[in-house]
Amino acid sequence: MAAAIIRGAGLERYYEERSEYAPRPGPSASGWNSIPVTTCDDGSREVRLVVDGLRCASCVWVTEHLLQATPGVQDATISYATGRANLRWDPELVDLDTLAGRIAALGYRPRLLGEEGKPDRGLLVRLGVAVFCALNIMMLTVPLYLGWITDLEPRYEALFRWAALLLATPVALWCAEPFFSGAVQGLKNRVLHMDLPIAIAIGVLYLHGLAATIAGGETYLDSLAMLVALLLAGRMLEGRSRRRAAEAALSLAASVPATVRRHAGETVETVAADDLRPGDLIDVGTGEEFAVDGYVHEGRGEVRMSLITGESEPVEVTVGSAVVAGSELLEGSLTLRVERVGEATTLQRMAAQLRAAADRPVRLTSTDRIAPWFTAATILVATLTACGWWLLAGDGDTALRATVAVLVVACPCALALSRPLAAAAGLGAAARRGLLFRSADGLLDLEEVDTVMLDKTGTVTRGELAVVAAEDETLRVAAGLERYSMHPIARAIVSEAARRGIPLPAATDVREEIGRGISGRVDDREWRLSAGGPGRVELSGDDGQSDRIALADAVRPDSAQAVRLMKERGIQVVLLTGDHEEVARRIAEQAGITELEARVDPEGKADRVRARQAEGTRVAFAGDGLNDGPALAAADVGIAMGTGAASSVLVADGIISTWSLMPLVAGFRASSAAARAIRWNQVRSIGYNVVAVSAAAAGLINPLIAAILMPASSAMVIWGASRVEAAMESGQP
Amino acid sequence: MNSIFFLIPIALVLGGIFAVMFVLAARDGQFDDLDDPPERILHD
Repeated sequence: MAAAIIRGAGLERYYEERSEYAPRPGPSASGWNSIPVTTCDDGSREVRLVVDGLRCASCVWVTEHLLQATPGVQDATISYATGRANLRWDPELVDLDTLAGRIAALGYRPRLLGEEGKPDRGLLVRLGVAVFCALNIMMLTVPLYLGWITDLEPRYEALFRWAALLLATPVALWCAEPFFSGAVQGLKNRVLHMDLPIAIAIGVLYLHGLAATIAGGETYLDSLAMLVALLLAGRMLEGRSRRRAAEAALSLAASVPATVRRHAGETVETVAADDLRPGDLIDVGTGEEFAVDGYVHEGRGEVRMSLITGESEPVEVTVGSAVVAGSELLEGSLTLRVERVGEATTLQRMAAQLRAAADRPVRLTSTDRIAPWFTAATILVATLTACGWWLLAGDGDTALRATVAVLVVACPCALALSRPLAAAAGLGAAARRGLLFRSADGLLDLEEVDTVMLDKTGTVTRGELAVVAAEDETLRVAAGLERYSMHPIARAIVSEAARRGIPLPAATDVREEIGRGISGRVDDREWRLSAGGPGRVELSGDDGQSDRIALADAVRPDSAQAVRLMKERGIQVVLLTGDHEEVARRIAEQAGITELEARVDPEGKADRVRARQAEGTRVAFAGDGLNDGPALAAADVGIAMGTGAASSVLVADGIISTWSLMPLVAGFRASSAAARAIRWNQVRSIGYNVVAVSAAAAGLINPLIAAILMPASSAMVIWGASRVEAAMESGQP
Repeated sequence: MNSIFFLIPIALVLGGIFAVMFVLAARDGQFDDLDDPPERILHD
C-alpha cells in the first residue's frame, strides 16, 4: 500500500533513480519516519516492508525475535517465502527509524513494499567473477596435477601457482563475502547455520593455498573457486525461482483499476481511485472493473463477481444493488455511489486477512539442522587429530598435515548444495510444466500430501460458460447476433461457432436489452435471443418457432486425465464446491472424481481441509477464487490457479500459470523427484565426509587425493540434482 | 616454452577484460530481466 501511495504521488521515478545510482537501495536509516504508515484504532502504527537478504530460515527467526524483543514493538512477523515483514509498534516508545536500523544492523536491507522481484545484481556479479576465476584456475592447476607425471620445469610450476593464487584471491575475499557475513551474523546471534562451515572451509582453503604457494607446495585453490561458484549458483537459482513466483503474484495483484471517472457537478473528471470519498458518484462502463464498493445509483447491468464468490454466473444489478470492488461489469453502464474505498473495501479486507494467513511460521531446513552438528563434528575431529598425532605419537609434522587435511576434506560444499540444487531443479522442472512455487518448502511439502481437494469452478472446470448442445443453424444465427457482445454467454456462443467452423452471418438492427436478451435481423428475418431458464438461451424467429442452446461450465479437457494420474500416485481426490449437489455430481463424474462435497461455503472449505488434516492426512488444496483463500491458507500446500483471483495467489504456495490441472500432477512428480534427490544427496555427502575425514585423520590422505575427492563430492551432488529433470522426463508428460 | 611467461598473463588480461565487461553489464541491469525483452516486440 505504501508503494501505491508513492506511485500515486508520482514518485515512481524514485525507484528507478535510486537503483540506477545507488547499488544498495532503501531509504537511509533516518528516512523511515517520513514514510506513510497505517495508524491502528488503538494508536499503534503498522507497516509492511520487504526485508532483503534473508537467506535462511534462521535469519528470519533471528530478525523476527530481535524485533519482537525491542521495547515498544507489539508485533513483528516475517515471511520467509516472500521476505515480507509486518511490523506493529507503539509510536510513544519506538519509531520506525529505530526498527529499520535494527534490521539493517543485522545486515539485512529493509525496503518499502512494491519493489519485490528486483533481481540481485550483486549476486550475479559475484557469481560471474567466481565462475571466470574458477575456470581459469582449473586451466592452470590441471597441468600441475599432470606435472607429477611429465616433470614440468619448476619455474613454470611457480608461474602457474602464483597465477592461480592471483585468480583465487578475489574469489575468496570478495565473491565469498556473503558466506562470511552470513557466518559472522550467525555467530553474533548465536544461531549456527550452513554459512559457518562454508566460511570455515573457504578460510582454511585460502589460507592453506596462500601458505602453500609461498612455500611452493600443492594447493586446493581450484576446489576453492569451484566451491564458491557452485554455492553462489545454488543461491542464485533459489532466489530466481522465488522471484518468479513473486512476479507472477504481483502481476495478478494489480487488477483493480487505479483511476475512476468521478462526477464533478455537471461534468466528469478522472481521478485516482485512492482519492475517492464515500458518497462520491462514479461512472462505470461495460467491461470495466469496480475500484470501490458501492451501491448502484443509476442504470442497470450484469456483473461478474467470480473474484469474490468463485462462481462465474453473471449477477444482474439495478438501482440500489450493492457491488464490490474487483468484480467486473459485463454489460450495461452504471453510476455508482461510493461506499467504501481502498483498504476498507471487501476485497482489500479479505486480502488483508489472507496476507496475514500467508505468513507462515519459519522452518529450519533439514540442511540447516545438520549444519551445527557438521561444524561441531569437523572441529572436534580436527582437534582430536591434532592432539592424537602430537600427544600420542609425538609427531608434530604429521599432526599439522593431518589436521589441515581433515579441515580441507570435510568440505561442506556437497552438503550445502544438496538442498538448493535439487530444490532448484525441482522448482525449475515444475515451472517449465506450468506450476510456479513461491519457495522450495511448498514444493517439498507436496511430496507428503496424500489428499488433494479441488475447487470446482475455475479449477476442475473452465470457470466460464461453454455451449454443450445446439443445432448448427441455431448457433449460426445466434452467433451472428452476439458477435459484438462481450457477455460471457455471447462469447461462449461465438467461440463454439468458430470451433465448428460456422461462418458468422451479418446482423443488422441489433438491440441489446440488459438482462432481457438481444434481438436483430439476420438473413432478412427478425430474431430474438433470450434467457430460457437456467443454463439455456432461446432463439426465437419471427415465425414463432424457437430453438434452444444449452450452456454449462465445462470440465477442462485434461481434468479427467490429471485426476486419473493423481489417483495412480495413490492420492485421494476430493471435489469441494459451493454449487448444487446435482451440478457438482455431473462435473465430478466427468472428471472421474468419486468423492465430493457440495454446497460448501468459503469458511466451510477451510473447515473441510482442517477436518482432513485432523485425521492425519496432508492436504493440498487447489482453487481460484478469493473465496478459496481460507482453504488455500489452511491447506498444507495451497495451489492457486493463476488465472483466478489475485488475492488467492497471495496465500498460495504455488501458482498454476496455464489453463489446466496437469501442472499439479507435474508438481507432485517434481516434488517427489526433488525430495528423493535431496535425501540421496545428503546421504552421499555425509557418507563422503565420514570416509574422507576418517582417512584424513588417520593421515592416509595426501593433498592431491583430497583435491580430487572434493570436486568429486560436489559433482556427485550436482549429478544427483540433475536426476530430477531426468526423472521427470522418463515418466509421463 | 618461454613464451608461456607472456601468454598466460595475456590470456588472463584478455579474460579479465571480458570479466569486467560482464560485471559492468550486470551492474547496469543487463541481466535483470531475461524473459520480457524477447516478448516485448510481440506486444508493440
